[in-house]
Amino acid sequence: MEPAERKEFDSVIAAIIKRSVASEVFNWLEEKAILIREENGARHLNLAFAAITRKTGRQLIKIAEEEREITKKVHSGFSVDDWTTDRLSRLWLLMQTDASDKNNYCAKIENLFNGAEMHELAALYSSLFFFKYPEEWQQRCAEGIRSNIGIVLEAIMYNNPYPSKYLSDLAWNQLVLKAFFAEKNVNRIIGLDRRANKELALILVDYANERRAAHRLVNPQLWRLVTKFIDESNFKNIEEAFKSSDVKEKKAAALACFQSNYLPAKNLVESEPVLKSEIVENKLNWNLL
Amino acid sequence: MCCSNLDEERGSQKGNLIPVDLESIKGMKFFDPHVHMTSRTTDDYQAMFDAGVVALIEPAFWLGQPRTGIDSFRDYYSSLIGWERFRSSQFGIKHYCTIGLNSREANNEKLAEQVMEVLPLFIMKEGVVGIGEIGFDDQTPAEEKYYRLQLELAKETELPVQIHTPHRDKKRGTRRSMDIALEHGISPDTVIIDHNNEETVKEVLDRGFWAAFTIYPFTKMGNERMVEIVKQYGTERIMINSAADWGISDPLAVPKTAALMKARGISAENIEQVTYRNAITAFGKSGQINEEDFVAAQNIDQSEKFEGNTVLRGGQQPRIDKSSIIIS
Repeated sequence: MEPAERKEFDSVIAAIIKRSVASEVFNWLEEKAILIREENGARHLNLAFAAITRKTGRQLIKIAEEEREITKKVHSGFSVDDWTTDRLSRLWLLMQTDASDKNNYCAKIENLFNGAEMHELAALYSSLFFFKYPEEWQQRCAEGIRSNIGIVLEAIMYNNPYPSKYLSDLAWNQLVLKAFFAEKNVNRIIGLDRRANKELALILVDYANERRAAHRLVNPQLWRLVTKFIDESNFKNIEEAFKSSDVKEKKAAALACFQSNYLPAKNLVESEPVLKSEIVENKLNWNLL
Repeated sequence: MCCSNLDEERGSQKGNLIPVDLESIKGMKFFDPHVHMTSRTTDDYQAMFDAGVVALIEPAFWLGQPRTGIDSFRDYYSSLIGWERFRSSQFGIKHYCTIGLNSREANNEKLAEQVMEVLPLFIMKEGVVGIGEIGFDDQTPAEEKYYRLQLELAKETELPVQIHTPHRDKKRGTRRSMDIALEHGISPDTVIIDHNNEETVKEVLDRGFWAAFTIYPFTKMGNERMVEIVKQYGTERIMINSAADWGISDPLAVPKTAALMKARGISAENIEQVTYRNAITAFGKSGQINEEDFVAAQNIDQSEKFEGNTVLRGGQQPRIDKSSIIIS
């Protein structure tokens, strides 16, 4: 983030918090912010970060329309609408940490991750995009994807601009696969379409086969990530999905084929004019599925 | 195990079989303030939920063999407030913990010093309801040293103290634990003395402390004996727990004892005191317990969704039917 953007974002977050908590709580946060900005060590950061929920509680924040527009400047998919007071306060405190000494700063943040309780972890992962030295957090993000704690996974996956911008293909693929495995709402993953890649498409096709062989349903959103990579090696799989008795899967296959450049796939959609016109009229798309 | 009178005792247990019938306590809520869930399976969580346990406290303890490095402690504390807490939420049970350096491992002084450095980072975390389980085991000077240091920490942070009383030389160890707590100026109504029995209960109650009883086969309290204790001493400042761990123990000790109490004529209000209310009052002094957070206590329709996401935000596990040989 550019300094000016960061400053604007910082003020907006502070304003939302101020509206959402009692005035003495906000005063406490501001006091801690000063101490955190000035300290070389991490004592105030550690204590304040842990103590947040005792002060702010955990309720939904109250956000004004203008504020929402400013948060969207971060990324169109980014949102704090469903954040709670403790999480937003933690993000704000983290943003106050002095980052001039890279090693010192990174060590402080890493240390918070290492001792984090479940909600602190979720707050930290939600805040990844707002840490300085963004490339430094790739390993940590990848580690978070290995977690099985529901709210941690959701913090990384949902409306978070960090992963799609900074993760390698390998780590990104793991995120998407984990989302399917853990039955998360993949529509909320920022960059899902932009970061589709061939390797991921192949793995997902195999995964679809595995599910089908086990007589289990396949998440129709899976085909969204295969569409650009349909070719003779995997076409048979999409044909199977197209012929599926599961209506959602059939529609997903139709969408994927329609968006594909592979001729046999396009021809397949032609064989179902009703579906095709639904797609053309935008009555059927990935978000409506 | 060779002692013949113990074998005889175990043999006689079989004669006292009263089938488990938790119907009589259906609808009651239970709070187990001492249970080591890291050593229990998801079957236990499921059974506890079904029996009406809505919340529990997991005290920090040893893992069956001594730890050899500070990282083991740190990772363990981390798991109590992280993974184990989440695991519990998946079964609709709210998980709290106490954190501290236990009496056994206080004997490794070099390591104990390092643990004392790390404790302040953890004890102020959300959901940490006390310093525990601390106290005496063999009653060595090292154990005393770290017990005292942690009492000071409790005073500083205004957290309740959960005290493990020794299993050997219990009467004197319990008395000594109380003496030292009072010496440090700790108010007894913020201290829970655990693993009580017929020999310790009077003094613990007389001196103003909370008296917790562990219903645990063979080595600790039995629930028929517990019924007698409640009939004799009433319910003030008395609570029960299972202390279920990796040994032969029963995570349903609290609901089963409630059922037994009901069958033996103890009133519903009194049962509620010792199996729910008192524990919440005592540990609630940490400011960390809010009954509204007890997910299972709210009659949430499992199928209810909010904007496509299940209301039970912990991500509750689907049920499996253990009576079937089919696994799928």
